[in-house]
Amino acid sequence: MTRPNRLRLILRDLGTGAAFASMAVSGQLPIWALGLFVVALGVALTGRRPFARLPKLTAMLLVPLAGALYLAVASGRMDLVVAACSFAGLVAGQRLLSETSTATDGQVLLAGLLMVAGGAALSGELFFAVCLMAFAVLASLSLGLAVVEAAVPVGEPVPVRAVMRPLAVGTLFALLGAVAFFILFPRLNWNVGARRASPGLGTATSGFSDTVRLGGSGTLKSNPRVVLRATLTPDPLTEQLGAYWLGRTYDTFDGQEWSTIGAPKKRGRTRVTLRRGAETQVYQKVELLPAYGSRTLIALETPSKLGNALAHTPTGTRRTLLQELGGDELRFVEEGLGYSYEVYSVPPGTDTDPGKMEQLEHDQLLALPDNLDPRVTELARQVLGDEKDPLTAANKLSSWLQREYEYTLELGGDVTDPLTEFLFVRKAGHCEHFATALTLLLRSQGFQARLATGFFGGERIGDEYILRAGDAHAWTHVLVPGRGFVTVDATPPAFRANQSLELLESLVSIYEAIESAWRTSVVDYSFRDQMNFVRDLTRPPAGSGEKKRLDLPPLRAWVTAVLVGVAVYQAWRYLSRRKPRTRALEATRFVDAVERQLATVGVRAGDGETLEDVSARLTREAHPLAPTVSPLTRRYLEARFGQRALEPGESAQLLKGLKQAIAALPPKEKPREKAQA
Amino acid sequence: MGRTYLVVTFGVGLGALNTGNNLLYLVLGLLLSVIILSGVLSERCLKDLSVRRLGTEGAFAGEPFAFRWGITRRQGHAFALTLSEVDSPLTGEGGVGYLPAGAEHVVRADLTAPRRGPVKLSGVRVTTTWPLGLFAKTRVFALEGTLLVYPRRGFACEDPLDAAVGHVGETNNPRRLDGTGDVAGLRELGEHEDARRVHWMKSASAGKLLKVEREREERRTFILDVKTGLEGDVLERRCEEVAARAHRLLEAGHEVGLELPGTRLRPGAGSGQERGILRALAWLGFEEQREEAA
Repeated sequence: MTRPNRLRLILRDLGTGAAFASMAVSGQLPIWALGLFVVALGVALTGRRPFARLPKLTAMLLVPLAGALYLAVASGRMDLVVAACSFAGLVAGQRLLSETSTATDGQVLLAGLLMVAGGAALSGELFFAVCLMAFAVLASLSLGLAVVEAAVPVGEPVPVRAVMRPLAVGTLFALLGAVAFFILFPRLNWNVGARRASPGLGTATSGFSDTVRLGGSGTLKSNPRVVLRATLTPDPLTEQLGAYWLGRTYDTFDGQEWSTIGAPKKRGRTRVTLRRGAETQVYQKVELLPAYGSRTLIALETPSKLGNALAHTPTGTRRTLLQELGGDELRFVEEGLGYSYEVYSVPPGTDTDPGKMEQLEHDQLLALPDNLDPRVTELARQVLGDEKDPLTAANKLSSWLQREYEYTLELGGDVTDPLTEFLFVRKAGHCEHFATALTLLLRSQGFQARLATGFFGGERIGDEYILRAGDAHAWTHVLVPGRGFVTVDATPPAFRANQSLELLESLVSIYEAIESAWRTSVVDYSFRDQMNFVRDLTRPPAGSGEKKRLDLPPLRAWVTAVLVGVAVYQAWRYLSRRKPRTRALEATRFVDAVERQLATVGVRAGDGETLEDVSARLTREAHPLAPTVSPLTRRYLEARFGQRALEPGESAQLLKGLKQAIAALPPKEKPREKAQA
Repeated sequence: MGRTYLVVTFGVGLGALNTGNNLLYLVLGLLLSVIILSGVLSERCLKDLSVRRLGTEGAFAGEPFAFRWGITRRQGHAFALTLSEVDSPLTGEGGVGYLPAGAEHVVRADLTAPRRGPVKLSGVRVTTTWPLGLFAKTRVFALEGTLLVYPRRGFACEDPLDAAVGHVGETNNPRRLDGTGDVAGLRELGEHEDARRVHWMKSASAGKLLKVEREREERRTFILDVKTGLEGDVLERRCEEVAARAHRLLEAGHEVGLELPGTRLRPGAGSGQERGILRALAWLGFEEQREEAA
């Protein structure tokens, strides 16, 4: 046996790794399965096969692992698909470390194929496409080399260079063919069930918790990942929106953390009206992407009506209810990777009703932490003097903070009194420090205010606006009598939007665009899309109706018709060629049946004896079956060689006659024949 | 592997239809695409081929023998071709990994014939599983021919028969079987040969046993025969014995003749005589086919 080609084994192992990665990107495989497979792959890539000596014993080790996985599934700790995928990975790992042979190669790549199918069931991520492509290319190259290696005589070199180029071209055509099949294969079931298992690039980024804790570093601000897409009506038609997108508000500060005093309402509703809106409201169709990572709804300030929410879960998309929490927060009831919903917001600058607020909540807008440093009150008094108007006071403080304090993302760890630290020690902080400082300075002078969190900005991409994780922001709501809550932002304007690097932002934008195209063009590709595709092939594009109507169909219709015609012609030719072979097989099956019947009474054909010979022998011996077998033989010869195929049902009729003749045999004939046999 | 692949494709297809998962449709598309690609590339590999049979030097039943074909492709190149004889009891196949255009490639295979006698060859089967080894595509090139398979090589356990002509040498003395003719030369002592004829001095200088050859010395004549009426395994066994004995005697330098039912081969020596004996034994019992072949 020749030594296996090293390049082929490396390609095989890497292909299997890619197949495993297609499952692993879902993030659902247990860590131990990941670890075991990675170790196996690493060892295999070094060329060592430690399981070659004990193939059966190592294979037996898979049995208890299968049992453990079964128990995990039975106890509800693991999803069945995840367990199956994990086991496929273990089998692939065991095979990778076993002795290389043709059978092993086939098993490894077959396991890879199953893992890719498992990956498709687990994840709808863009990385799956990359892994699928990598697996297809690597496995094809490995298989191609294996085929050539098997044909090369022992001792001769494998012509790797000569093989690789046509293999690569063939693989490219296979991928193009896969795309064609994907587009054209009829979707008999268009209930898209792909799992959107993870938010793509790592874990989800933002997230609204019940509290906001001051301090820590501001890495979120430099994160360029897109978390929200929205279309606005009426469309503002600006490149940079510069709007406040509200998530929730906080009214209680204990010196370190912001929280909300209001209790959540248990009842879930499909639509929620927070306040009466103005005549002209801004309609938003919002999609929260998996990178968002929270259940809190986001809306342009100031939201009035929200609803018609859909949750995108691993098992599909379905309608979900909304739940009201304290601080005007609305949350989706159902956990999902992403959400879509509709919002109406009151245009900025409109006087708004603050909504239904209990007295306790109202009083809380003036609450100060027990251990508030007295210097804070003194500082506010110094800046505001005798100012009585809340909005003017807020603007004064805001301007002062922006002037006197610096924006920074470089902060240390937790401190005991972050507000004092910000105002009197570091004199630098990020949006939460500015917003907290403004809110508490206002409260210390008797103005009602609260902290608001959400996003600031809006970057136009096509017809919609996107928000990045770095656009997360905090600001202050000042309660102005007669006008409601008014937004005042103490953070310097240059630092309100995300602070990520432009290059990184561009790269992430490209990725997001590809991922978006992947989702719309592949994951969510439906029967309707197929119909549209076919319609576009045969009809002129929309908008051409104004042009002069052509008498002839467009060129693409002719091309499509020719392609379909060629395909039908080729199929017809193929079937035509198969027809005679089918007839011959019918005749062969017929003669087999005749011989079986004859064998029941001991008439068996000798070595090399045809049915014709048997028939002649029976005639010579004046056997009682000879008159029946002779016409059967003639008919068989006609069907087999005389171009006169058996008619439908004819063979059954002929066999029936033979059976009757056998049944009518005198009893003494059967023992005689049996004895002869 | 192709069957397994089809089963997996079917399973993925069912999964795609059942769940509506577009990614499974994508995988299914890849699997179906590979099936088509496999068929197309295999078909391309088998285009424009021409094959000729170069045959073998000698085929003995029950043991592998070298068999060769010459294969050429006029245009384009082909990969992973395996060649074998179609509709024949010969087992084994030869292969070529890469066949460039224009040049004839000689494919060698170790074939095995199960039994003695003429084997009718009707054509050469060229198969390829290129590119992915999932499905095999075959083309048969009609090439009529006959391969004569000699009897199985074995060991003749019986003692040598008496020589038909024992008085050799110049003296024509039946008691002097070793002969006393003129020295014709020296040659290495063969297996089973009489050590008494070793020229010890020359052997000592040459470092190997050298035997003195004399004219007509030790050349006895044997007539081997196969009786009439033998059939089946008995006939096969007898043919094998005769072939083995003829080989042994001829190797020892004797002349061997052969008498078969209806055929007689005059005594002779050397490898040509052995080939004639083997050929005659191979045709024994297949005389009708010999006439047809003639």
